[in-house]
Amino acid sequence: MAPEEIIAAVGDGLPPEVRCEADHRGVVLRVPPGHWLAALAFARERLDCDFFDWLTAVDEADEGFSVVVHVYSLAGRHHVLLAAPLPRSSPWLPTATGIYRGAAWHERETHEMFGIGFDGHPHLAPLLLPDGFEGHPLRKDFVLAARAAKEWPGVKEPGGRPEPGADRPAPGGERPVPRARRRGPPHVPDGWGPA
Amino acid sequence: MAAVDLPLPDVAGGPGTGPGPGVITVDAGGGCSLRVFDAGLACCGVEVAAALRRGAALATVTTGKQLNVFVVAGTVTDKLAPYVREAFLDTPLPRRVLSFGACANSGGPYWDSYCVTKGVDQFIPVDVYVPGCPPRPEALLAGLMLVLRAGE
Amino acid sequence: MTGGTPAACGLPARSRGVIALLEENCTVCMLCARECPDWCIYIESHQEPVPGTEYGGEDPARAPAGRGRQRVRNVLDRFAIDFSLCMYCGICVEACPYDALFWSPEFSYAETDIAALTHEQGRLREWMWTVPPPPRHEEGAPPPREARGQIP
Repeated sequence: MAPEEIIAAVGDGLPPEVRCEADHRGVVLRVPPGHWLAALAFARERLDCDFFDWLTAVDEADEGFSVVVHVYSLAGRHHVLLAAPLPRSSPWLPTATGIYRGAAWHERETHEMFGIGFDGHPHLAPLLLPDGFEGHPLRKDFVLAARAAKEWPGVKEPGGRPEPGADRPAPGGERPVPRARRRGPPHVPDGWGPA
Repeated sequence: MAAVDLPLPDVAGGPGTGPGPGVITVDAGGGCSLRVFDAGLACCGVEVAAALRRGAALATVTTGKQLNVFVVAGTVTDKLAPYVREAFLDTPLPRRVLSFGACANSGGPYWDSYCVTKGVDQFIPVDVYVPGCPPRPEALLAGLMLVLRAGE
Repeated sequence: MTGGTPAACGLPARSRGVIALLEENCTVCMLCARECPDWCIYIESHQEPVPGTEYGGEDPARAPAGRGRQRVRNVLDRFAIDFSLCMYCGICVEACPYDALFWSPEFSYAETDIAALTHEQGRLREWMWTVPPPPRHEEGAPPPREARGQIP
């Protein structure tokens, strides 16, 4: 099916709250959580998307989470993405296993990595994380303990000079050299560093 | 189409019924042979497989014994660590442990991950560390030679 | 040992076995340590005044043109690479602006003690003697810019 046909079919078959647009990845359906199961059933039955590829979540910071599902039609050779925005305070969705059996382990992983609940899932136990693991690692506010605990070797200045943030005296006792911009390791937010 | 007459996915046969580590015997010459138990956990496992399939001929060693070498090749995650330890304890004596590749040595490129064990020596005693990412198959043979020499 | 040395293995050019340091080229700019994704390069240094650049006058403001405060240079105290963490990505070799780091195809440096996999300055210089000359350009490639007169 061409993207235009898919958009037209969605316009006919799903409520107007479900927005549908086409981009370079394929067709993306933005689904409010209340219409999640209806949209998945529509994708499976009406859009012929019989191949379930993956289900995961995106941490959108202040906008909450977004659960994304990628399904594909083997006969029609078209990709469909379904995205459901969820509030940050209590994110949950009904389980997709009633429509796509393969979502079972994907939902388990999304549950342990982001803390998103899936109502009706038969066995929502942790899949990849060891027993007793605390926290949800793929959330953006999860601190990587290793990067917080180890001192970055690049924090030293060439020549063992004092780190930026302090005026330093020039050799020979002449006027001090002004402080430079503070430098930190890449991909480590402020506030993590060694205690 | 009807959706779901399929069962939910599950581990086949339940825990403890999967295949154990592959056992390959390497002729070290001089009457000594190494039985290599390869725990090929990730990409390094391909290099170990390449090394052991080549029918390696190591230099002549004068000891006449048979030694069991437990090779950990690949990233050890915190979830998998207890099973790696069980596989190590199942290795018959006399046994040595060879840690193959950066992930098994120290966590390697995944040292900062939330779920990677920073080196297999966190929970089993290691005799030889082979550096590399991944090490060449010839580096495994050099590491096995070091296992023999270190044991004397 | 069969296939035990890089030459015997017939390794291709630019094979990544171990990293060598040419200390004379290093200006302690810290780019390699900062760019390393594994945080496995440890550098310590201090500054020393360069002899012969002192200004002998009393009032620096009245120094003759070209003679300001005394020049200082960075002196390397420690340059170590932890090969138990290294993932052999080569970012340090590429980032170095002064060509102080080189690839060597040597791969047989397994150890029984993981701390010995951290190679200090002396050992990194020893690896320099195993660095092969750069490979020839392929046939049909345009001549290097130096040969075309574009770089003096």
